[in-house]
Amino acid sequence: MKNWSVQVFFMELRQLITYRADFWINFFGQTFISLTIAYFLWDSIFLSAQTKVMNGFTIQGMIFYYLCVPLIFRVQQGQGIGFISREIYDGGLNKYLLYPIDIFKYKTATYLANATFFLLQLFFLILVYNIFFYDPNVYSFSLLAGIKFLILLVIASLSFFYLFLCCELMAFWFDNIWSLGVILRFITSFFGGALIPLAFFPNWAQEILRLTPFPYLIDFPMKALLNQLDTHQFLINTTISIIWMIMFRFLALSIWKRGQYAYTGVGI
Amino acid sequence: MIEVKNLNKVFKVHKKEPGFIGSVKSLVKRSYIHKQALDNFSLNIAQGEIIGLIGSNGAGKTTLTKILSGIIHPSSGDVSVMGFNPWKRENSYRSKMSVIMGQKAQLWWDLPAMDGFLLLKEIYQIPHRDFYDSIEYFAHVLNIKEQLNIQVRRLSLGERMKVELMAALLHKPKVIFMDEPTIGLDLSAQKAVRNFIKEYRKAHNPTMILTSHYMDDIEELCPRICILKEGKGIYDGSLIKLHNKYAQNKLIKAHINNREELHQLKDSFPKQLGILEFDSRQVSIHTPRDKAMEAAKFLLEHCEVLDMNIKEQEIGDVIEKIMNQKDPL
Repeated sequence: MKNWSVQVFFMELRQLITYRADFWINFFGQTFISLTIAYFLWDSIFLSAQTKVMNGFTIQGMIFYYLCVPLIFRVQQGQGIGFISREIYDGGLNKYLLYPIDIFKYKTATYLANATFFLLQLFFLILVYNIFFYDPNVYSFSLLAGIKFLILLVIASLSFFYLFLCCELMAFWFDNIWSLGVILRFITSFFGGALIPLAFFPNWAQEILRLTPFPYLIDFPMKALLNQLDTHQFLINTTISIIWMIMFRFLALSIWKRGQYAYTGVGI
Repeated sequence: MIEVKNLNKVFKVHKKEPGFIGSVKSLVKRSYIHKQALDNFSLNIAQGEIIGLIGSNGAGKTTLTKILSGIIHPSSGDVSVMGFNPWKRENSYRSKMSVIMGQKAQLWWDLPAMDGFLLLKEIYQIPHRDFYDSIEYFAHVLNIKEQLNIQVRRLSLGERMKVELMAALLHKPKVIFMDEPTIGLDLSAQKAVRNFIKEYRKAHNPTMILTSHYMDDIEELCPRICILKEGKGIYDGSLIKLHNKYAQNKLIKAHINNREELHQLKDSFPKQLGILEFDSRQVSIHTPRDKAMEAAKFLLEHCEVLDMNIKEQEIGDVIEKIMNQKDPL
């Protein structure tokens, strides 16, 4: 990264931390709400099924899953990712076109800063969990698993960024693409395993999903964290993940190139 | 330095009928109109020259600025700025030019201006010494030193414009496009911005295009103007020449001591010498330029004049008249 992109990265981080009330509400609010819902929902499911293990998950394992997954999803979604369509809509994009920089690099740097912001929250959460609630029956923590998780998460985040960018850049042609973003978020969270672990999907559905980019966004990074991916599986998943990322980047760049001609910058 | 030849820009704009039914209809079928923002427009600007771009809202001034700065692509035509094609957006071009938009903030809203400047230092690769010298100089001239470490969103409009100016000029651009840099500012802030631009021009001699609705900006800064009307250039030349050619009237204002004489003037003043307006003991005469002396003489001969001055017609009035007339110049 060039110097300016490092500076953009830290500047974005500073902006995120500027509003500390939002920082803590975001962190505790999200975690608390998703954990509470997961606990009551899955506790009643386990009780009504009269079993202690479902598709490899105990209730404690499920709680840990729902502790991590919302933050993994937030790492990928970032916070500023939705700004690009708004910038196209209100002409805010102008300033990036005036500076002698690659706008893609600029946006990637801000995205990575957002991702890092939530990644730090995720690490903090895992640390607290490991110190106070660690149970080897839930998952066996290892440094190697942590590294595999981090690698898959970074690639998955960039894939999501470029995929979402394709959707955001539609704003060059359509004034309001908010609903498109909502649909994409729902699809990626549902088929990625953020709402229900993919292990709960029928086998045929899991087979089909493997051909799509969605499991590589959440399910596989989560499996890496839970130490459920051996080195061979990790390498295969990493390779496929990188291929998806390159494809989405290529697609986003093509849309960007065409979209520039439709850009009006607001005002005549 | 800047060459524009037969430039055209057409915007396809969605046209929606008013009201709820119009909104529902537009869900199914949309109609569009094609708005010609620039119509076969040509312009040449020499190195170091400053030109004022004048026109009513929607005349195409902002579109021209956006094309010249590379923000948008034209529909057709040729443009060369310092030998570059702006919309190719080469870094070597973008690092030599700057755009100041009075209506659009370019600095980072949630951070102090200084943080934004430091990022620009990296983006434009400004040497350390030059950067801090420029900051020191600009902050001093604009009297804004104390505000550099305050979040941009917490600054007043005038202060924000000053830091925007600083941000745009830190890398000492050779070409500067200014789109309404004084819009919304109070009179003293407008003056400060104008003085700063003058100072900057003296020191660096950049080529500039200034768009403004404030005639004070244009009169003080631009010896040459270009008037745009519905995308077409209808005048390109000296501001003074335009004034001499099209300012048909002069304005005589006089204080008359005797109310009786003032009343008599209504009946006795020859109509061919101009139109009278009365306000208390003051009389204003809109007189043709060649009759100004005759009108003043008549006034002095028939009334006891306490004070009198003769003014040229305001340049803003002249331009407004030109923009409103149907026939081309």
